[in-house]
Amino acid sequence: MSRKAVIECKHVSKTFYTLSGDHLVVDDLNFTVYENEFVVLFGPGQCGKTTVLNLITGLELPTKGEIIVAGEKVTGPSPKRGMVYQTTNLFMWYNVMKNVEFGPSVRGISKKERRKKAQHYIDLVGLTGFEKHYPVQLSGGMQQRVGIARAYCNEPDIICMDEPFGHLDAQTRYLMEKEVERISSQEKRTVVFVTNNVEEAIYLADRIILLRNLPTSVKKEYTVDLPRPRNYVSPEFLALREEITRDMDPTL
Amino acid sequence: MKKSSIKQKAGTILLPAVGFVAILVIWWLLVSFTRIGLLLPTPLEVLKRFIYFLGNPIGKAFTLPMHLLISLRRVLTGFCIASVAGIIVGISMGRFKPIEAIVRPIFELVRPIPGVAWIPLAIVWFGIGETAKTFIIFMGGFVNIVVNTYAGARHVDERLMGVAYMLGASKIQAFFRVVLPSCVPYIFAGMQVGLSTCWMAVLAAEMVSSFEGVGWVIIAGQDINDMAQIFVGIIAIAVMGLLLAAFMRFMERILCRWRERGA
Amino acid sequence: MNTAKRINRKYKYISLISMLAFLGIWYLATAVLKLVPAYSLPDPVKVITTFVQKFYMKVPDGATLLQNIWASVKVAMLGYVFGVVIGIPTGVAMGWIKAVEKIVRPVFDFIKPIPPIALIPVMIVFFGISLQAKAIIIFFSTVIPCIVNSYSGIKQTNQIHLWVAQTFGATRRQQLFTVALPSALPMIFAGLRVAMGSSWMGLVAAELLGSTSGIGYMISVGRALLRSDIIIVGILTLGIIGILISVMFDLLEKLLVRGGSEK
Ligand SMILES: Nc1ncnc2c1ncn2[C@@H]1O[C@H](COP(=O)(O)OP(=O)(O)OP(=O)(O)O)[C@@H](O)[C@H]1O
Ligand SMILES: [Mg+2]
Repeated sequence: MSRKAVIECKHVSKTFYTLSGDHLVVDDLNFTVYENEFVVLFGPGQCGKTTVLNLITGLELPTKGEIIVAGEKVTGPSPKRGMVYQTTNLFMWYNVMKNVEFGPSVRGISKKERRKKAQHYIDLVGLTGFEKHYPVQLSGGMQQRVGIARAYCNEPDIICMDEPFGHLDAQTRYLMEKEVERISSQEKRTVVFVTNNVEEAIYLADRIILLRNLPTSVKKEYTVDLPRPRNYVSPEFLALREEITRDMDPTL
Repeated sequence: MKKSSIKQKAGTILLPAVGFVAILVIWWLLVSFTRIGLLLPTPLEVLKRFIYFLGNPIGKAFTLPMHLLISLRRVLTGFCIASVAGIIVGISMGRFKPIEAIVRPIFELVRPIPGVAWIPLAIVWFGIGETAKTFIIFMGGFVNIVVNTYAGARHVDERLMGVAYMLGASKIQAFFRVVLPSCVPYIFAGMQVGLSTCWMAVLAAEMVSSFEGVGWVIIAGQDINDMAQIFVGIIAIAVMGLLLAAFMRFMERILCRWRERGA
Repeated sequence: MNTAKRINRKYKYISLISMLAFLGIWYLATAVLKLVPAYSLPDPVKVITTFVQKFYMKVPDGATLLQNIWASVKVAMLGYVFGVVIGIPTGVAMGWIKAVEKIVRPVFDFIKPIPPIALIPVMIVFFGISLQAKAIIIFFSTVIPCIVNSYSGIKQTNQIHLWVAQTFGATRRQQLFTVALPSALPMIFAGLRVAMGSSWMGLVAAELLGSTSGIGYMISVGRALLRSDIIIVGILTLGIIGILISVMFDLLEKLLVRGGSEK
């Protein structure tokens, strides 16, 4: 691996100003993600994981510190940084095709070219034949696939995924984990994946970054060196799982 | 099996008929055997008059369909202006805090005033011509459309706006591809209410000052004590109202197709 | 004092400034620059003086403001109460009893699109310019939204909740009172609110078209005498009463509709 740094979080802090007072949510967060690496941010519920992703993608700006992505300082949302969400954030008024080609379309890429690209990613996530369907007509798992295709189709430098399977049933969840592994091995990208499920973290990650409870910062890092596809019940898997669970802060 | 389905069919046709027939019979009995007959025409007379007016002028110049068209044109003029203005005001209030802060207090002052209350002021301001009527109808529709559009614009999912920006959309693209479509259902709700209010407003305006239109047909009927003419006007309005409502529902179905489940 | 509160306060100031600017421009255009004749738009000071004077002066319409308000509210209450008392049970019966639905619904669907304003001449021919005429108009304005909302409220009762009640052995009657009615309550309440708005509108129209007292009458006298200050005072009074009514409904809703309405 070339070890070229793609995301650099340097002394990042974030405070929210609300009517009920000021909330310090992220406190001096530091980490680096390298090119084509699959990093999992792992932490207890409500510890600020979504906030960290929002900071990386530029939806929120840090109160202190800075984030550098692919050599540029993050100052706002950009098509170079894609995101897949916890709940499906599809454009309900567009069909699958229009959702997936949204990015290329707003960037003025010709219809023929973007259709081709979108079709490629629709096929990749296994939704061939559903191009004309509206999101309400799809199941939760299928909606998440559309969200993934939409993020990939914009061909960003990095893709952030915020607990994309948190709302799916266990069966679909396992299936989607396999799918994400397949997709990310076929289309190499730098991925930051957030979850609060330890098995999901170990199954998918090249590296796991464990976050502290609120206000959050990095507690520990683990490199996962198991061969893929991983076996949920292999002794190494279970041992790592044991270790991470022990290190994790309890949920508030 | 077959028997029950026949029974069912009879139920869906017969029972509604019972309602209508009962009303007509009561109406007819009242007119024929009580003193109400001095004031009220029989259903048959109303029907005859309705058909007669389809081809013959009421008052000096216009037949019933012409009066309807005149009213309709007034409603549509006022309603279209109200829609465009209402959508612009509602969305800018919902999306831009400074505009909300500036416009909202003035709007809150206007909002609770019933549309028809503007009639006298409109007449003083604009005389009794078309401008006054358009203004009255505008005020009737505008408030409803703003209220709903404003609610819609405030409910736009901020995360979805983030998605659009993150996929590279400019502010203008995000507006047309996210804000506007997610407001459409709200805008439609507002326009539906607004249209029926506009329809009321045109009636009231025509009844207060006009020489044509359905409202005039009704008020002229009152002036010459011709109850049949009043009823003809009312029925014409009901039919027109039904048609307009059906048209709005049709448009909603087309524009909000994405909200329907099922293939 | 935290940051978010400070920003909120900033917008409050903007709102205040906007209100003052509105009054300022109005004052400048009328009293100072005299862009429009005073009979068309009086200056705000004049409106306020007239407003205060109307509390004790009976000119030009023969009653003080409070007497006019009482005249209007009295009629509105009468028609409204009758409308509610008849409308809600009718709507509930339509929603709960199949036969009633089949008979009444088609007739109702036909009556629904008739704007109550259109009935004003009928009532004037029947009852002359009287309290009954206006009360019946308001009754119609009230009864229709009451029926619509209580009907669809009952219709939307969650079937599963009914089954649950059934498995506990509730009779049909008990199901109505323990499941259907409570779950329809928010909807019915919304109907009461809509009815209030439309009956207020019907009242104003009725008073404009034929009346000898009430706020609408005061406004139409103002128009006849080209006293636009009286018209504006009347319109503002209608607005203020409208606000009071909606505040009252907010409070009532908080008290009565526990559990809140599903949106
Ligand atoms: N825009 C905001 N304004 C104020 N507070 C916020 C905002 N966004 C997040 N927070 C607060 O920050 C904290 C962390 O929220 P965040 O959603 O980032 O956690 P999370 O780890 O993603 O939670 P979950 O496990 O539920 O996804 C919460 O206490 C939340 O209330
Ligand atoms: Mg989260």
